Amino acid sequence: MQKPASYRPSMSRRWWLQHQHFVLYMLREATVVPLVFFAGCMIAGLWALNSGAEAWVSWQAFMANPLVILINLLTLAASLFHAATFFPLMPRVMPIRIGAKTLPVNAIVGGMWAVVAIIAIALVAYFIWRA
Amino acid sequence: MSQTKSIRVQRYLPEQEPEPFWQNYEVPFDESTSILDALNYIKDELDNTLSYRWSCRMAICGSCGVMVNGIPKLGCKTFLREYGTRVDISALAHFPVERDLVVDMDIFMEHLEAVKPYIIDKSKGRPTGESDTYRQTPAQMARYHQFSNCINCGLCYAACPQFGLNNQFLGPAAITLAQRYNLDNRDKGKRERMAALSEHDGVWSCTFVGFCSTVCPKHVDPAAAVNQGKIEAAKYTLINLLNG
Ligand code: SF4
Ligand code: FES
Repeated sequence: MQKPASYRPSMSRRWWLQHQHFVLYMLREATVVPLVFFAGCMIAGLWALNSGAEAWVSWQAFMANPLVILINLLTLAASLFHAATFFPLMPRVMPIRIGAKTLPVNAIVGGMWAVVAIIAIALVAYFIWRA
Repeated sequence: MSQTKSIRVQRYLPEQEPEPFWQNYEVPFDESTSILDALNYIKDELDNTLSYRWSCRMAICGSCGVMVNGIPKLGCKTFLREYGTRVDISALAHFPVERDLVVDMDIFMEHLEAVKPYIIDKSKGRPTGESDTYRQTPAQMARYHQFSNCINCGLCYAACPQFGLNNQFLGPAAITLAQRYNLDNRDKGKRERMAALSEHDGVWSCTFVGFCSTVCPKHVDPAAAVNQGKIEAAKYTLINLLNG
């Protein structure tokens, strides 16, 4: 059967500005940018550690630069935002079932934040104890 | 019904105009007037050239999907009272438009077929019918039940930018239906479905935008199904790799 003539709508390049849901999605995806910077810092740190005292000291100075600290604070905020958007998806993708019942979403999301909090507190406590 | 609302409908009449155009209609409404009621009013009272699809008017048949102010909606489940002065109705996004609000859904049907959405069981011991039937406990049914509520309305495809960019992507509802059968204890056909699901145009085209689940009128949560499918596809690919 011959198909009738049809009109094919095309997607505008600004499609993601048309709904708040899409804007938040793009923001979530954009959190990878500061994260790449942080990963670069860590790799540079490892390289500096391996290259001797001088390189290590200059890497430390670089990390103490207010601008670098600011960017890394942004990275932290971006990562927390990413986690906040991602955690509620976990119980939907990997539902935990006990018999015919599914574990409530809030319990799983709350559990994940609890794990984040415990690790953060443990790390801070460790560094305070070392210092 | 003393109040009226002005509604803009996107028209497409290929024998008159090569491009779609907007047309205004003044429609009386009250608390219970749905978008579909408004379209029916236009068709019956104002302009019988308007084309659109509908059947059940109770969110079951899935045929009345349209964009209202750019968001995919079921015409029969969406009410004029929810909107202010702007009510723009256009054809479901990402599908070719044949006429006014009528879209060509063939590509959607092809994707649904591609995942073999039926129980596949070629095992020797399978029930023969009559008194010999499958058994399923409530717990077994709970695993897939939500995914079986899909009415194939296609709203999730109109919400999906990945399908908009590449209509070869199997898309939310088809992958959900695959997952619905993969999770069914009566089904033994998972291997047959995994090949299509594991391709690039299968689950991996999804970047978890998640708007499909927001617009779904039956709370199917296709985004969850697609991402469950990613776990299955990863397992399938790994096992195939190990088996050589
Ligand atoms: S998953 Fe929801 S939105 Fe998509 S076709 Fe099915 S009922 Fe419609
Ligand atoms: S008319 Fe059937 S779903 Fe709207």
